[in-house]
Amino acid sequence: MDRDTRMRDVSDKPGGRKGSAAKTIQHKNRGPLGRLRRNAVSNGDVVVERKVVDLWREFVHRRWNPEHKFLNLERIAEDEFVRQHRLLPGSGASGAGKEIAVLFKLASMLQPKVETISLAHNGLTSGSSLSRLSHYLPGVVNLSLQDNKLSTWRDIDYISSKRGRLQQLRELIMVENPLRDMEYSNNRIDRYKSEMVRRFPSLDILDMEAIPKIGFDAPAASTSAVASTSQATATTFPAEMGLSFITGVDSSVVSNFLVRFFPLFDNQRAGLLDVYHPNATFSFSSNTTIPARARIEGYHYSKEMPNQRKLEWTPWLTGGHGGSRNLNRMGGGIDKMTKTLHVGSEAAVKAMADLPITKHDITGSPEKFCVDAWPVQAGDSPQLFVTIHGQFTEEPSLGIRSFDRSFILAPAPEGSRARQTGWDVVILSDQLTVRAYSNHEAWTPGPMRVQAGEPMASGSSLQPPANPQIQVALSAMPEPQRSLVMEVLTRTGLNLEYAVQCLESNAWDVGRAIANFEQVKGTLPRDAFL
Amino acid sequence: MSTFTQNDIEIATRAADHFTRLYYSTYDSATRVDNLPNFYRPSSAMTWNGKPFQGSDGVRKLISAMPVTKHEVQCFDCHPIPGSQPPNLLITVSGTVTHGHRPTGNSASTSSKSVDSQPRVFSQTFMLVPDPTAPPSKTGEVAKYYVNADAMRFVG
Repeated sequence: MDRDTRMRDVSDKPGGRKGSAAKTIQHKNRGPLGRLRRNAVSNGDVVVERKVVDLWREFVHRRWNPEHKFLNLERIAEDEFVRQHRLLPGSGASGAGKEIAVLFKLASMLQPKVETISLAHNGLTSGSSLSRLSHYLPGVVNLSLQDNKLSTWRDIDYISSKRGRLQQLRELIMVENPLRDMEYSNNRIDRYKSEMVRRFPSLDILDMEAIPKIGFDAPAASTSAVASTSQATATTFPAEMGLSFITGVDSSVVSNFLVRFFPLFDNQRAGLLDVYHPNATFSFSSNTTIPARARIEGYHYSKEMPNQRKLEWTPWLTGGHGGSRNLNRMGGGIDKMTKTLHVGSEAAVKAMADLPITKHDITGSPEKFCVDAWPVQAGDSPQLFVTIHGQFTEEPSLGIRSFDRSFILAPAPEGSRARQTGWDVVILSDQLTVRAYSNHEAWTPGPMRVQAGEPMASGSSLQPPANPQIQVALSAMPEPQRSLVMEVLTRTGLNLEYAVQCLESNAWDVGRAIANFEQVKGTLPRDAFL
Repeated sequence: MSTFTQNDIEIATRAADHFTRLYYSTYDSATRVDNLPNFYRPSSAMTWNGKPFQGSDGVRKLISAMPVTKHEVQCFDCHPIPGSQPPNLLITVSGTVTHGHRPTGNSASTSSKSVDSQPRVFSQTFMLVPDPTAPPSKTGEVAKYYVNADAMRFVG
């Protein structure tokens, strides 16, 4: 039969009604849509050949409710149109991963955007058939997978596992799937809910039940387009790097705490039992990423720090009675999340005792540490919010690591064990982050460069331009003219002569000089600029 | 002061996960000047590299003058702080941040090996507290939280 030839004639004709659209898809996509099956359709007396993708497009439009932004893809295999055109393989929808991917792609072209999609009652046995959902319809808000045959967490991970997938999902229906049924019959309802919610952090409703959660007053990504947008253009930072910032509290309270805490942490962790509140929380987490700046500086191999390569992450990842609590990589799920949070002073100190021995030289090299602290009101009791950044030497390797540590402190109550043992404060919460070494010069006070090639900073802390001739000329100038000229140089890009001229004709007022420059800059000759 | 239930810990973790995604995507967005201050209240205190900024207005002032940012969260942790119900939350974040338009700072005169063209390591600690005046607005919402204290520093 010459069916193939005939079909090519009809449907591949350039400019043919359906041909062009289908070709666009074909070009862009070498996946399921690249393969266009064809079949003949009897339409009254006229035999019309159409590409399968066009039939699927018609199916999608039949199932689309634009008013409710609802795409109903339920019971696909039972659909009269699908059966008539034999659009599914013999196995029905359950084995139709490619066809479902085609549907998602077609759905992605619908207007308005699909918000609700139901794939209920399709007998889907594997999550892999859903793997393209988040790619084509990342903004889906409501999803029903009711009455399918999804049975493992792996199936769910096809639509959830990575960051950035289905970030708008608000409601999910998983009832009548073996995965949920099994967790329910094994009395693990809480675990089921936790695991599901962990996979879809934006979820508000699971299986028709509200999920208890904490809200914030910032827009979700979907609504932020309403706000006015403005492209940031600053090439300097709004402020310089500042010294340790301690305010609202006698700084001796903070320093007394730190100079007593760290020696005990280094030498006798059990001795910290009293300074932790009986219900205190403690955890540590490890950021094992190699910092880019430190790598370029070569700290990992420097002669001054010969022991860096002997450091091992293992004790910080698996030690401390439960291991690192990096919630960004909480592969172990709910159990691990609970096990790595040490609640109560005894549990806290016990976990710490299982971590490597450290030496924080907080009194010998204070420049290697940096503290920000101030009081916070929490309910009716005052508390102290403290963050410290610094470094420690680790035993036995004697390699050096950087750390960040945050505390919530409260006044030690009269008669408490903390008070009896001479502490002014008790620890309510303590979080330790251990990182690969970065030099403490990161917090050296003063101006900072945003990026290579940008000026150093604004205002009083301007750096002189790199051009040596200009530097010589500048150094000959008296203050305050010198810094005014520098500021105009930096902000306008004018050369020295024009910058001085501009200031002179504006009574040495930088604001007026800059405004004047903005008015005339289009008319200035090329050689007015550096 | 009672200890926390598994449910408290789960809600706190979920909130931290949600918060860190939302906060840094807002910070890095073109609408940050309008949206980032919403995480704060007039009473909030924040420091940026040791320089204090007060309240939502202070945050707006800071962010208005900030070069374009791109944050990458590498590590975060969250505790419910003992002594309050619903609990205040302590969140610490460790990651990298790149400022400016050119992702690697590859201007003609500088090599990509230049330290200045590399992302910085940042450390940011937040204390989140429930806002008693803001009733929950969504199904299942236990409470609405805001940033009461926020200390950010470049640390590498």
